[in-house]
Amino acid sequence: MSLVTELILSADSEARYPAPKEIRIFQDFVRTGDQRIRIAGILAENEQRIVDNASAKFWERCPVTPSNSGNPRKTASCQRDQGWYVRLVAYSILAGSEKPLAEIGTVGIKEMYNSLEIPLRNLVEAMRCVKDEAVSLLSPEDAVEVAPYFDYIIRALS
Amino acid sequence: MQDAITTLINSSDMQGRYLDNSGVDKLRSYFQSGEMRARAAIAISANASPLVTQAVAKALMYTDITAPGGNMYTCRRYAACIRDMDYFLRYATYAMLAGDTSILDERILNGLRETYNSLGVPVGATIRAVQAMKEVTTDLIGADAGREMSVYFDYICAGLS
Repeated sequence: MSLVTELILSADSEARYPAPKEIRIFQDFVRTGDQRIRIAGILAENEQRIVDNASAKFWERCPVTPSNSGNPRKTASCQRDQGWYVRLVAYSILAGSEKPLAEIGTVGIKEMYNSLEIPLRNLVEAMRCVKDEAVSLLSPEDAVEVAPYFDYIIRALS
Repeated sequence: MQDAITTLINSSDMQGRYLDNSGVDKLRSYFQSGEMRARAAIAISANASPLVTQAVAKALMYTDITAPGGNMYTCRRYAACIRDMDYFLRYATYAMLAGDTSILDERILNGLRETYNSLGVPVGATIRAVQAMKEVTTDLIGADAGREMSVYFDYICAGLS
């Protein structure tokens, strides 16, 4: 779901045209389209670098964790998931809404990682490192768009 | 429902990928047309009722359909007709804002032809009225936005026929 769909469904639930405030929100959203495409492009191009640097930092902070246990499958799964979250954040930037991130990647996140026996506290630390790496590649103006989505993931894990 | 953005996200996510170049181009053109879409929606919502009146006047009012024995004869049937035209206009506007037809299927078209047939509502006349609404709407919002709205009016007609 995107910001556009959200406001249409909200208007439809009351059988009315979008209100002036909703149209204003839509206009502000489409006006920032170039910025959104630029941010998603930077995240896409740098996903590997973000994940590599974030992992190195994460293992410094949390040396005892499955991804640093010497089991290459666990390392690969952890890094693959980190990359996926970078991608989901890119989707959410384009959609102007946390819904894609929530629908694909945060509803059920605790239950899933608990069942995989991944320590959530470590995962939060890992996600903080991914956020820091992603934000460090962006201008301050772009960074403020991106950071809240990583915070949203961290909140879902806490 | 889907929109121009979520369809691209969903198909990328199925492959675990970022948007490819053609997806980015589609997205960019959607964002660039956003202001036009917003202005069209403002104009249509401000004129929804006269647009329906004009479309009905153009396509239905002076035909046999409003005479005794016709399907718009009796106020009750006339009211049902303009209510449906109102719906078509509002949902076409939603679809135009979204840049996607899925809301038309979900909220308007699924089962509509069967409903109309069972109620004896003439589909041909309905389509003529939607086409007339397309024309009066284009007169209001201009050629570019009119072309975009036409996609959704035509989609309704195709779904009815």
